[in-house]
Amino acid sequence: MIKLQEKPIPINTSMVMELSNVTFRFPEDDEPILQDVSFTIHQGERVVITGPSGSGKSTLLYLMNRLYPESCDGILSGSITLFGKNQADYLPGEVNARIATVFQDPDSQFCMPTVEEEMAFTLENLNVPRAEMEKRIVEALDTTRLTHLRHTLIQTLSGGMKQRVATACAILMEPEVLLLDEPLSHLDPLTAQEYVGWLDELQKKYGWTVVAVEHRLDAWKDFFNRRLKVISGGFVEQSDSVVAAPILFNKRNTSMVEETVFEALDVSVELKGKTLLHNASIKLRHGEIAVLAGPNGSGKSTLFKAICGILPLSQGRIISRQTLPGYVPQSPEHLFVTQRVEDEVLFSKRAEPRIVGDLMKRLRLDDIHDAHPFAISHGQKRRTAIAAMLVEKRSVLLLDEPTSGQDEAALNELHQLIRTRAEEGLAVLVITHDMEFAASIADTVFLLKEGLLTGEFNAADVWKDEKLLREHSLLPPIGGGLRGT
Amino acid sequence: MVLNEQLHEMNPAIKFLVVVVSMLTLAWFFNPWTPAIFFVGIVLIQLVCSRINWKLWLLMMIPFVITAFGYLWTTILFAAEAGGTVIWSWKHIEVTDEQFARALSLSFRVIAFSSISLLFAFTTRPVNFVMSLMQQFRLSPKLAYGIMVGYQFLPVVKEEFVQIRHAHRLRGVGDEKWWWQRLFGMRRMLIPLLAAAVRKAERAAFAMEARAFTGEPRTEFFKPVTVRFNDWVLTALFLTLLISSSILGVLLT
Repeated sequence: MIKLQEKPIPINTSMVMELSNVTFRFPEDDEPILQDVSFTIHQGERVVITGPSGSGKSTLLYLMNRLYPESCDGILSGSITLFGKNQADYLPGEVNARIATVFQDPDSQFCMPTVEEEMAFTLENLNVPRAEMEKRIVEALDTTRLTHLRHTLIQTLSGGMKQRVATACAILMEPEVLLLDEPLSHLDPLTAQEYVGWLDELQKKYGWTVVAVEHRLDAWKDFFNRRLKVISGGFVEQSDSVVAAPILFNKRNTSMVEETVFEALDVSVELKGKTLLHNASIKLRHGEIAVLAGPNGSGKSTLFKAICGILPLSQGRIISRQTLPGYVPQSPEHLFVTQRVEDEVLFSKRAEPRIVGDLMKRLRLDDIHDAHPFAISHGQKRRTAIAAMLVEKRSVLLLDEPTSGQDEAALNELHQLIRTRAEEGLAVLVITHDMEFAASIADTVFLLKEGLLTGEFNAADVWKDEKLLREHSLLPPIGGGLRGT
Repeated sequence: MVLNEQLHEMNPAIKFLVVVVSMLTLAWFFNPWTPAIFFVGIVLIQLVCSRINWKLWLLMMIPFVITAFGYLWTTILFAAEAGGTVIWSWKHIEVTDEQFARALSLSFRVIAFSSISLLFAFTTRPVNFVMSLMQQFRLSPKLAYGIMVGYQFLPVVKEEFVQIRHAHRLRGVGDEKWWWQRLFGMRRMLIPLLAAAVRKAERAAFAMEARAFTGEPRTEFFKPVTVRFNDWVLTALFLTLLISSSILGVLLT
């Protein structure tokens, strides 16, 4: 057992992982997801693996901690050497104490109710003697500054705190390598930045090797010192640039017209005696794109659900044209109730069949009209959901976190999609944590905190007000450039 | 050593065994006295040795009492001829004393079974029960932690259910006029709920494996669930109640 002790960062010392000519294929696929991958990782390095969604980043990570090929019956060729020993020669669970992993979804990586019980579960897996468990739990909690959470129920913690607890459980195993699978994707910008700072400090202290999968490098700043890019065809190339290359969105001229299409006045929502939203007023204009931002749990989704008629208002009123705003939740498939994309669009009783054909064409759904709505890509699911909303001639569209977990190509597609809807005269209100995306698209920004709408801001001004953004767990956009003139 | 903590602190696996043994034993008695005495005994033990929410307990007993009453009158009216003296008759229906005793016995049995089940449910933390099953009865850790994950997922699945129902409301699903239409409409929630559950289950399994969980029986426990002297005292108390209610029941009939 290697003891936790402070050591400087040793780069290029011993080799911890070596992949040579690794090709990997899932049993149900014809094409390999990773092809001819070779690289080495040395102790103390901070490596990031980037690449578009579905490119095999996470697969690569799971090959490094032996979750694959075992758990998926995948077909592996080439060799993976972990700490100088072939991966196949390890017993199940043997290498996991030395290579610890933190996953993406804060909600599904715990199996016990409290932080202490979760940590005990981890140590019991390793057959640590009982006398030593208490000491190691205290130590790990102290190191990660989470001692106050020891007896807290994990389910009551925020996403950011859950990720810290997951990291603490990984650290508890006294690993040499820490693998991170998009650990920031569910966190708001400020929480993400805090997490990175916290991890940086811990890594410097203990000298772990850190390997992370990430599609947005913005929040990590200069944390990493090497980058592996998974490119199309499943090949991996080394890259020296470890800072975020700004995503270039097309510049947009506002399509906003001074004509109010929607107004919510003094809207409040109470649920089970708790006020989730206090007196929020929102006005949207023809062709306007607005962004609604604020910390996790501040009531953004509640506001959306209130103004599209899902949640009853305890106070206030809504002035809208023929129909209430359309709403696309973060998981668009939650809206789906039929077995075919076209049926999905036609499902509503108020659907206007005349416009369906045109709408499907404009949203590029005509090719997949016969597909099952659950079997299409995430982007297609969102477009189907939008079509299902717009078929009722709604004049406002609400998008809940459409940017979360999206890669550059998907973000550009989304940008184009929203922009085109606005040009068609729709008012679009978007919830997002992605400030670069927000800066590139918004005419107006609404900020929300603890159920209170701080106000409506002109997009051009709000990004300069760092203090105001910070109060809402947001950070000014970095590097976000605009393409074109 | 506080008296009203005893049932809560009792070893869950032993408590479970006591419940099972009591139920199996009671099933052999067809006189009304045995289950009735047993029920009163269970309530007395619970009054002294636990600190439960009696209001909630009463509420939970309501459906069982209704079921018991249902048993009572259906058995009286429809049971096979049992012989004995007729104690009550109305038109063509004749009720004999033996028939009545059997009906009473059945309904008291329902009440006795539900009272001991509620005793278990009200005084046992699910986590401790699973841990205890694993440590005392060698339940496989794979199964034990599988149950634990399922238990952790309940609130998450509930949240998902609410989200889907909200989204469906927007599509006009779920606000149909009649309850049976709404109930039938629930089938639409099945696919999204299952899809989400499978995804989450896989993620949880990965997270557990990544923390070196192999499903092998474990040798070390952070909080060993022990069997203490008090557990045997309580077991003896339950068994005494069981035996005395059996004997008394037979003597009284």
